[in-house]
Amino acid sequence: MAVNYVPETLEEALLLRKAEKAVPLAGGTDIMVQHRRAQGTAPNPGFPVMVISGLKELKGIRKLEDGSVEIMALATAAEIASSDIVPWHVRKAASGMGAIALRNTATIGGNIGNASPKGDLPQPLILLDAEVVLASFDGERRMLLDDFILGSKKTALADDEIIKSVIIPPHDFTYMFYRKIGMRKANAISKLSLSAACSVKDGIISDFRASSGAAGPKVIRSREAESMIIRRPVDELADIVPDFLDAWDHAISPHAMPKYRRHTTARMLTYFLEAIVNGAEPGVIGEEEK
Amino acid sequence: MPINCIDDRVVRVDAEAKARGEAMYASDYSFPDMLYARMIRSDIPRGTIDSISVPQLPEGYYFISAKDIPEGGKNELWMIAKDWRCFADGDVRYVGETIGLLVGPDRNMLDYLASNVRISYTEQEPAVTIDDALALKGGPIVGEDNVLCSLFCEKGEKMQGIMDRADSVFTETIETGFQEHVHLETNGAVITMEDGKYVIYISAQCPFYVRKSVAGLLGLQPEDIIIRQTTTGGAFGGKEHFPDVLAGPLLVAESVIQKPIKLIFTREEDMLYSVKRHPSKTIFRTALDKEGNILGIDGTIYYNCGAYLSASYVVLQRGVFHANGVYDFPATYLKGVGVATNTFPSDAFRGFGAPQTLFAIETHLDHIARKFGFDPAEYKARYFIKKGGETVTNGHIVEEVKLPEMMKKIADASDYFRKSKEYAIGSGKGIGMSFYNHGGAFTGNGEQAIIKAHARLVKSGNRVRIEVGSTEMGQGFQTALRKIVANALKIDMEQVDYDNPDTSLVPDSGPTAASRSTMIVGKIAEDCALEMKERWNEGDFSVEKEYQHPDGHPWDQSTFRGDAYLGYGWGAACVEVEVDKLTNEVRTTGIWTCHEIGHAIDELIVHGQVNGGVIQSLGYASMEKMENRNGHFRQSSMSDYVIPTSMDFPRQEWFLEDNPYQWGPQGAKGMGELVFNGADAAYVDAVERALGITVTKIPIPPEDIEEALENA
Amino acid sequence: MLRKIVFSVNGSRVVFAGNPLTRLIDVLRDELKLTGVKEGCGEGECGACSIIKDGKLVTSCIIPVGACEGSEIYTIEGIRDTEKGKCLVDAFRDGGAVQCGFCIPGMVMAAYALLSANPNPDENAIRMAISGNICRCTGYDLIVDSIRLAAERGGDLWQ
Repeated sequence: MAVNYVPETLEEALLLRKAEKAVPLAGGTDIMVQHRRAQGTAPNPGFPVMVISGLKELKGIRKLEDGSVEIMALATAAEIASSDIVPWHVRKAASGMGAIALRNTATIGGNIGNASPKGDLPQPLILLDAEVVLASFDGERRMLLDDFILGSKKTALADDEIIKSVIIPPHDFTYMFYRKIGMRKANAISKLSLSAACSVKDGIISDFRASSGAAGPKVIRSREAESMIIRRPVDELADIVPDFLDAWDHAISPHAMPKYRRHTTARMLTYFLEAIVNGAEPGVIGEEEK
Repeated sequence: MPINCIDDRVVRVDAEAKARGEAMYASDYSFPDMLYARMIRSDIPRGTIDSISVPQLPEGYYFISAKDIPEGGKNELWMIAKDWRCFADGDVRYVGETIGLLVGPDRNMLDYLASNVRISYTEQEPAVTIDDALALKGGPIVGEDNVLCSLFCEKGEKMQGIMDRADSVFTETIETGFQEHVHLETNGAVITMEDGKYVIYISAQCPFYVRKSVAGLLGLQPEDIIIRQTTTGGAFGGKEHFPDVLAGPLLVAESVIQKPIKLIFTREEDMLYSVKRHPSKTIFRTALDKEGNILGIDGTIYYNCGAYLSASYVVLQRGVFHANGVYDFPATYLKGVGVATNTFPSDAFRGFGAPQTLFAIETHLDHIARKFGFDPAEYKARYFIKKGGETVTNGHIVEEVKLPEMMKKIADASDYFRKSKEYAIGSGKGIGMSFYNHGGAFTGNGEQAIIKAHARLVKSGNRVRIEVGSTEMGQGFQTALRKIVANALKIDMEQVDYDNPDTSLVPDSGPTAASRSTMIVGKIAEDCALEMKERWNEGDFSVEKEYQHPDGHPWDQSTFRGDAYLGYGWGAACVEVEVDKLTNEVRTTGIWTCHEIGHAIDELIVHGQVNGGVIQSLGYASMEKMENRNGHFRQSSMSDYVIPTSMDFPRQEWFLEDNPYQWGPQGAKGMGELVFNGADAAYVDAVERALGITVTKIPIPPEDIEEALENA
Repeated sequence: MLRKIVFSVNGSRVVFAGNPLTRLIDVLRDELKLTGVKEGCGEGECGACSIIKDGKLVTSCIIPVGACEGSEIYTIEGIRDTEKGKCLVDAFRDGGAVQCGFCIPGMVMAAYALLSANPNPDENAIRMAISGNICRCTGYDLIVDSIRLAAERGGDLWQ
């Protein structure tokens, strides 16, 4: 059985990471579950693990000078959901993760490091062009989260690196949409999710983006499809919708329940786009349900 | 304070200890020098075992298997039949069949050993579904046709004539899936030796079943083994026969090792390797006249029984006897076929075969009604059976049937008729109504011919101890029975004791199943109490009585003719939904039910049973999907097999229709299963109307609604 | 190399030296004999093992003991004889919340966490607060009512 560690400082953790390739455990909601065994036995992942839950250097959420928001790796879903400086899409997703006890435990670092296509946080973060800050004993690097997550359960994390934080650049959307369809109304893993956002200035769509969760091996954004809409007048949007939906449908690649996931994604996008076409009040679209 | 009136709501006797975390469930027991057990199971659905290779066992570790059954013992668990083996021997018939038990002191070591046991097989093609079984895929598993059990019953004119003169015949196939019990406490047991006797502490509904089932493994008599029921964290039928599958291997292990041994399933084991509700497929051919009146119904009902019979024949009988719902059709021909497959044996689950066919007939009738432009509830109400009406087994309903009154209560409360008219088909809003019943206690004369239940009361000073084999598993029986006895004796409930049964101390009251405890055991205990009250001043004494069968319930078990049940509980449910047309997510916006259970022993307990049974039924209809691919269950945890949370369904409005039952204690009938039997159909009716779809299969999660929309 | 983990459970100091991935529930149940903490699923999904860790509701089956350094942990055993704990237990008993009881200690902990943060929750807030605590018996209505009852009876207790 591999040896497991509890570093007391980030520096110690980075050293352990470098020397022992110890895999960081933040909240435990993935590693402890995926490698669980019988009652009375500790999970046995087959690789060394370091429990970094206590590292103060990796806690907190703060606003940076440029208006970006930095969420440290050990921020829990509950902390993210209740922070008023975190962008709406991310708060929504965090507040719908599991149930209360899980939200008190699960961290943003763990959720993106686990890179499950059904993970709740990567989807809105990728929508917002969030970057991930990776720390190693030898330094730090930043990359787009969309580039960091390579596929289902695969990331670009080097074996001496730890996810330190996530930085979300500022945005000002006219319209926003978020939906997660779980296997039930609460305490559920995502069956499908979608975020969308749109900025309209002087009748022109200045920004448009969408991201699909649980509709492929990783969160899906299609810049190609988005570019069909960006810089076009709202007046012309209705005519673009069919081609856009077609392009989006090509971009996603749901494995199971493909029909449901494809059709539902198309219906949600249509709903959002129609609201824009129809000149809906700026704000969140489709929030009538609780 | 003495109970002067059975209608006073009381506080449950077990609530405080449970809420304080003091109640002792099986996993909470530990004994000095206790060892742990790990089950080794088949990981293929069908084949022969070529070899079993067990790693070198450290000292103090054991691998127990069929070879450890001593001379004079038989490798069989005696449930209703004796076909289910304690240990697979030579061949395996389903994924998860017990092959051996690893036993030892350290659970990490057991985990290591378990993952290094190598079993090699010669695999055969499995039959997994009802269709596989009927097609004899891979060759028959039992007999020549894979039929484990079958029966039919016939009422009225012959079908052929009816079909010939019908204006139309509406044929429909309705299917239901596996359902997992998900009792929050997984299966578990601890075996030990006390004073030279085997003692099993076990989470179980039927302690007397366990000892009967396992004694033969060692060539012992049931009395040679003591079963002590531990506080049982939910059962729902999942702990009726299945505990035998834990107790058997433990008993064989104990005979070799002679130390306390504990076996507690993980949730994954409990999900993948335990009994389930029988999947079903019901084919109705209904003869109709021009106006849509039913002339006769021909039904063929298939239940997937899995690899062994277990309780399947009895489950199938109940399925057939409930397949006409609460209606009095002019003619019915109902045939039931239980098929063998290479899946984990299906077994008891709240409702015991009735929910599948009740769902089928309700849904079928809804479809006929809509086809002919009738309101489904009104259409079904035309056929309500009445007192004296003939049942499908040519028996008669002996009680007043209050369905019209019950329907009115929930129709008024829900504003059903207005909404049914106003919500257009496909509008996203829908409301549905279903009717159902549940025959109380064992089928036919089973109570008299097979069970012969006993109950005993023991008076010492001014305290009275109830001695019965019936168990508390969450349904409230320890409270209800104390209440019945205290009320009959006109003493304080505090003066009445009733502990979890120990088979060496109490008489056999029959299984805690079939909604029979209050109705049957409660009545015997009440009769004991009434005698005890007469003789109260005689000092310390005990009164024991045997079940007395009420007159006037003819039954022939060989032809299935007569009164299949002593009496029925009746139910009506109304469910209202709104469906999000973007995502097919269904939001239930209202639930109204009315049940007739004779006279309620305690309304607070009944309230909890109604709420819980209804939500289980709604879970069954909406989200509880257990799939089996190639013999392997695909859902293995509480995150992929989901059951309802507090957020999934709204507060329920519930009513009772009082109709005291002359042979029950204080007028009570059974109710534990009834409340599961019908909300599913009301939900599906509502969803169908909201979306303009036709559903012939549950569960119906959003992705399956998508399919139905495509076919609409 | 093996670091000792020091924390408190129900007010008593606990020193753990061993595999830091050891599940907190196993420490509580097997070593400290706090069997009111129930294991229902082993994957943080059902809430039967809910406890309060540093003021927050968590499921002890997926917390590694290595994450407990300096933590204050309370189980059902630690709250049941406090004023708040008694108020909850009494309300669960009187309100008919308990059937098989296996989910109930965890449910009481969830209610404790809720009322400590929100002394006067409405039905929806209560349903949200217990949505991670799965009950197969009750259909939840009487649990919701019992938590409401505890809020009303407790009054200032929860402020």
